[in-house]
Amino acid sequence: MSEPIVIENLTKYYNKFLALDNLSLRVVANENVGLLGPNGAGKSTTLKILCGLLRASSGTAYIDGASVAEKPEQALSRIGAIVETPEFYPFLTPEETLGYLGRLRGMRGDELKRRIKEVIQLVRLEDWGTVKIEKFSRGMKQRLGLAQALLHDPPVLILDEPALGLDPRGVVEFREIIEGAGKEKTIFFASHQLVEVTQICNQVAIIDHGRLLAYDSIAALEKKYQSLERAYLELTEAPLD
Amino acid sequence: MTKLEKLRIVAGYEFLKHIRRKRLYVILGLTLLAELLVLILVPVLGDGYPDNVKVMAAVLSMGPSLATIGAIFFAGDAIAGEFENKTGYILFTNPVGRMTLVVGKYLACYAAVILLVILGYVIVSISLLVIYGSIPIETLSSFGLCLLYAGSVLSVTFFFSSISKGAMGATVITLVFIMVISGIVDSVLTMTGQPHWFMLSTNGDTIATVYGGYELFMGGFGGGGERMPFEFETPDIGLSVLSMVIYLVVGFVSSIWISKRRQLA
Repeated sequence: MSEPIVIENLTKYYNKFLALDNLSLRVVANENVGLLGPNGAGKSTTLKILCGLLRASSGTAYIDGASVAEKPEQALSRIGAIVETPEFYPFLTPEETLGYLGRLRGMRGDELKRRIKEVIQLVRLEDWGTVKIEKFSRGMKQRLGLAQALLHDPPVLILDEPALGLDPRGVVEFREIIEGAGKEKTIFFASHQLVEVTQICNQVAIIDHGRLLAYDSIAALEKKYQSLERAYLELTEAPLD
Repeated sequence: MTKLEKLRIVAGYEFLKHIRRKRLYVILGLTLLAELLVLILVPVLGDGYPDNVKVMAAVLSMGPSLATIGAIFFAGDAIAGEFENKTGYILFTNPVGRMTLVVGKYLACYAAVILLVILGYVIVSISLLVIYGSIPIETLSSFGLCLLYAGSVLSVTFFFSSISKGAMGATVITLVFIMVISGIVDSVLTMTGQPHWFMLSTNGDTIATVYGGYELFMGGFGGGGERMPFEFETPDIGLSVLSMVIYLVVGFVSSIWISKRRQLA
């Protein structure tokens, strides 16, 4: 079985602060894996290394067999990502922005136009496609962020708190879109929302202080700790040696 | 997909950004205002327009020179802005190298500045034709030097943008470096009789001095080349070109090198 995301002994220091401590993790194809952990646990750092935004101090991250550090363009061609709250050039419209990003990924002509229309409809921004992004709220930018992540129909989605800033209806719509996408894609998904994770993911990795504390199916963790919430609380509260 | 195709896409969309931004039109307005002020104030404050067309051409070259400063405002946020505004979280997760992105941004900024410089020289040429009925051949050299100066200013700005946390900081540092520090050091070197061909402010002067040097300029306005407390040596065009090429290449290459290593935490 293929493993589109492989993290091997990742360590990351921010000056003297150890953000990731020898983290290793493998995500099997078409699995939806939630990355859980308290603030500062190393979730965003892990995702940023996978997306080529940060360099690991040591260790390697692979996307579909390509090292993100050594072959970034090959690795990044396989992913769609939302990292933090997405920000866009305010002078461009969603159609122009998606046109730019789609072309950078080799999409062209009618195929690109059709796909832009599809993803704009999917995230419910059809009335805003030709409006400059400077007029957009945070939630609308989040929707556009999801549209750009899905635009090129990538096999791997890397999502960092994708529902942040959305209203309750937006959260539900987002979840439905990601759930739908997750049926045929591999999703690696960082969140603080346990409910959201249980609805989208079938596996969770719990990390704290940059270390992997548990990586198992939600069902197995619920069986062992009675609930995912208890598993999270017990594991992340335990003092580290 | 080749790197060249990606470069074309990046440059195209970056240029579109410049077209959409107000700062392009503000700098265009300032360039036109500078030309207008020269055309109005020279005959009003002096005894009509100077007899020598080259003197007026040199003074009018102030407009396009001002346009090159636009490079600082276009490029200040080119790299720093991706980190400060967090647009890099979207752009950098695409399969395009940082080098392609920086080169594309550079080309787009340069294209915007070239547009302004061309407009500036069109106005210079029309004005000279209307007033004198001729355009000095040196205008071509002035135009070339102006483009080279714009490129060197752009590279210096890209360098500061690549090391700065914020776009405003990069813009201010570049302005201070070019307008203040370079100017002060240039003056000190001039006063003490030291070579100053390597100063960017000296290099910028060649856009006007290519028409005939400081003597022609002072004499053309009735100064008669009156003796100054120290000698103003007209900058050597060849050395200035060499200096600007060095600024252009070193600034550009170092901005690429730094950008490739910069992380988005």
